[in-house]
Amino acid sequence: MIENSIEKEIISIASDVSGFDPEEITLDSNFYKDLEIDSIKAIEITVAIEKKYKISVRDEDVPNITTVRQAVKLVNTLLKQKDTDV
Amino acid sequence: MSKSDNKQYDVIIIGAGLSGLVCGCYLAKAGMKVLVAEQHYKPGGYCTSFKRQGFIFSAAAHFLGGIKNGNLGKIFDDHNIDKIVKIKKYDPSNIIITPKYRVSFGDDLEKTIKEFQDNFPDESDNIKSFFSYLMSSDPKSTITMRTWTFKDLLDKYFTNNELKSILGFPLLGNAALPPSLTSAFIGTKIFKEFILDGGYYPVGGIHKLPEAFAERFCEYGGELRLSCPVRKITVKNNIATGIYLRDGTFLSAKYIVSNCDARQTFLKLLGKKLIGKDFADKLSTMIPSLSGFILYLGTDEHLDKLPETGVNIWVVSNDGLDLDEVFLSVKKGDYRNIAGYLLYISPDKKVILAFLPAPFKDKNYWIHNKFKLGESLMRRIEKDVIPDLTKHIKYKDAATPQTLFRYTGNYKGAAFGWACFPSQLAITDFRKPSFVRNLYMTGHWTTKGFGIPGVIYVGEDTAKMILRKEKA
Repeated sequence: MIENSIEKEIISIASDVSGFDPEEITLDSNFYKDLEIDSIKAIEITVAIEKKYKISVRDEDVPNITTVRQAVKLVNTLLKQKDTDV
Repeated sequence: MSKSDNKQYDVIIIGAGLSGLVCGCYLAKAGMKVLVAEQHYKPGGYCTSFKRQGFIFSAAAHFLGGIKNGNLGKIFDDHNIDKIVKIKKYDPSNIIITPKYRVSFGDDLEKTIKEFQDNFPDESDNIKSFFSYLMSSDPKSTITMRTWTFKDLLDKYFTNNELKSILGFPLLGNAALPPSLTSAFIGTKIFKEFILDGGYYPVGGIHKLPEAFAERFCEYGGELRLSCPVRKITVKNNIATGIYLRDGTFLSAKYIVSNCDARQTFLKLLGKKLIGKDFADKLSTMIPSLSGFILYLGTDEHLDKLPETGVNIWVVSNDGLDLDEVFLSVKKGDYRNIAGYLLYISPDKKVILAFLPAPFKDKNYWIHNKFKLGESLMRRIEKDVIPDLTKHIKYKDAATPQTLFRYTGNYKGAAFGWACFPSQLAITDFRKPSFVRNLYMTGHWTTKGFGIPGVIYVGEDTAKMILRKEKA
């Protein structure tokens, strides 16, 4: 259930930034190829995710994030880590 | 294509800056019914010119960049802008002159790199990798840089402080910030688009560019109303529904785009109640960029020993300048020692422009300092690069931050919208506020578009977002 809502939230962020309708965005949408995310929008999505979940995306994570699914997975991992850190 | 129901317009754009006009062009071309409402009697925002005693002066922005290295070329082609206005390229685009060095940025990247290497042989390899980094454009590599400053980037590549200071100085002119405060992403854009691909000038003056977009916009069926200030954006059930003009007229639209100042948009046109406390708090912590002081000189054309014309010349007083200190003095309005300035001499040698970053300050401050600062800047130019300049002046005037504010309504006369700190970069609520649907911001207050290439890019992108939404 929680994961599902993270999916929805990330799709909503991707929609706000890219202008594509949430219904057009799937878990397999590629940010760069399907959603036309350029460099400034890539920063915008990252900043929005960091702000929303109060996490920080590490430099080494960045190359692995090309689809919505990968972003959801990363947010889950970082949230879990945050929980264990506390 | 329009799906709007009983609305007078599909889209109303507030402000005819370049971003608003470009956005309007794409929307009107796609068949939407678009109104652009501009408070000034001419379009262009910071891209206007004025004529005095036969001299034509660019009022604020004076050159273009990013036609080849950025998106501008494609956007001009989309609207056949070159059929209306001729854009001339000067090479080199920028020259930096310090007591010890003279380096120029030209079309030929290899030549530019070589020039830097000849001046700084110890940094030869680093110079090569730095420039190749600037020219690379992988969106992923910019993500890792989102929190970096341009100083972090310079420190990563170089050890020589004189070189770092030379590469940092153009940021004081193009971003009104020192490298230690400028976002590395924006700093990189400035070098790639404004400097390495700078030196473009619309023939006849910078105003020819917004005029060309305005002409196309009207040809596509768009409606441009000048001297038409907007008083309010109306919102119903969190959806923007239209605007009230100052004369009380209500105009309805399906989408509203604001190309005007962010604080005015949120605090005046929408109102504190609508934007909510969290966003109002956020807004109150945001810091605008500094403004500028611009000296306009008309000459008798008999000047000898002029440096290159048609080029941005950065004159820097000392090598290895501490740019943080320079910024702090400028911020305080302390111009006792002008550390450097940007100089532009028109190719026909008739017009000279000089630029300094400048703090807003009140009217009294500028009444007392406008003349004084203009004179000391003129004497500095005379001493540094144009001997006998003062003997050949036929017309002189200056714009202060108060002037820039008065004509454009930009908060505190900010030259570049929000200051481009890494922390003020790419904030979605300044682009597409979450609390009002169908409202978009465009232009340099979006935290996404910087300078002319940036605002034109955002203008196109805003249109794309609206068209995508219409299609969905």
